Amino acid sequence: MNNIKTIEVTIERRIPASPVEVFDAWLNPKIPGTPWNMAEKLLLNPTVDGFFYWAVRGTPHYGRFTAVERPGRIQHTWMSPNTSGLESTVNVTFKGKGKDTVMTLVHSGLPDTDGGRSHEKGWNYFLDMFPAQFLDASRTSK
Amino acid sequence: MFSMEQLTDVLSAVSHPTRRAIIRRLANGPARFSDIAEPFDLALNAVTKHLKFLERAGLIEREKRGREVLISLRPEALRLVADWVHEYERFWNEKLDEFEGYFKQQKRSKK
Repeated sequence: MNNIKTIEVTIERRIPASPVEVFDAWLNPKIPGTPWNMAEKLLLNPTVDGFFYWAVRGTPHYGRFTAVERPGRIQHTWMSPNTSGLESTVNVTFKGKGKDTVMTLVHSGLPDTDGGRSHEKGWNYFLDMFPAQFLDASRTSK
Repeated sequence: MFSMEQLTDVLSAVSHPTRRAIIRRLANGPARFSDIAEPFDLALNAVTKHLKFLERAGLIEREKRGREVLISLRPEALRLVADWVHEYERFWNEKLDEFEGYFKQQKRSKK
């Protein structure tokens, strides 16, 4: 297990609201775009050493909160079938910038396997966005 | 062959929702500048900047046909990104786009 190479994914967004509003919204399952929002089954206890469980389309996700520092930072572990048994870490920071908040999400400790960084899954990202003729065009250019 | 610098350019280009919307539009076929700019509530020079960004990344090309300049998608460059998009990168990008969209909607409805 220790031989698995891991990678880190960093995503940043500027949100038009204060850090407190954004922080609170991120932990609110009713807000679209939070990982908890689409859960078919959800258990969420966002306190240090509190756990979460959510499942979507039968895929379970588990984690333990390791930092809940309102309004600056939320950190928790993250395990799912896609982490191949590794306990990955999600660290989200909220920094005020003028009237906005710069939100930075770092998901580290992800297995860099064919399953994680697969061409097929990468393509799905675009296939969700593009109509069929784009796919046809890209295939013919191979 | 694509270089790592080109990969960085393509990743930067697709990181912005407006540029992704432009790519989506061009996936339907070549378009004129005015057709691309029309759906956006943006100044024309802002659309020009986005197009330059996409052009620098090799994602679009311009072709003069008579009096018109048609802009079209070059999907080859996207395959480069697809090879590098981690499943969780896709997941979090979609989530945060949705999250940001919620706040923008809230802000518009407050006006």
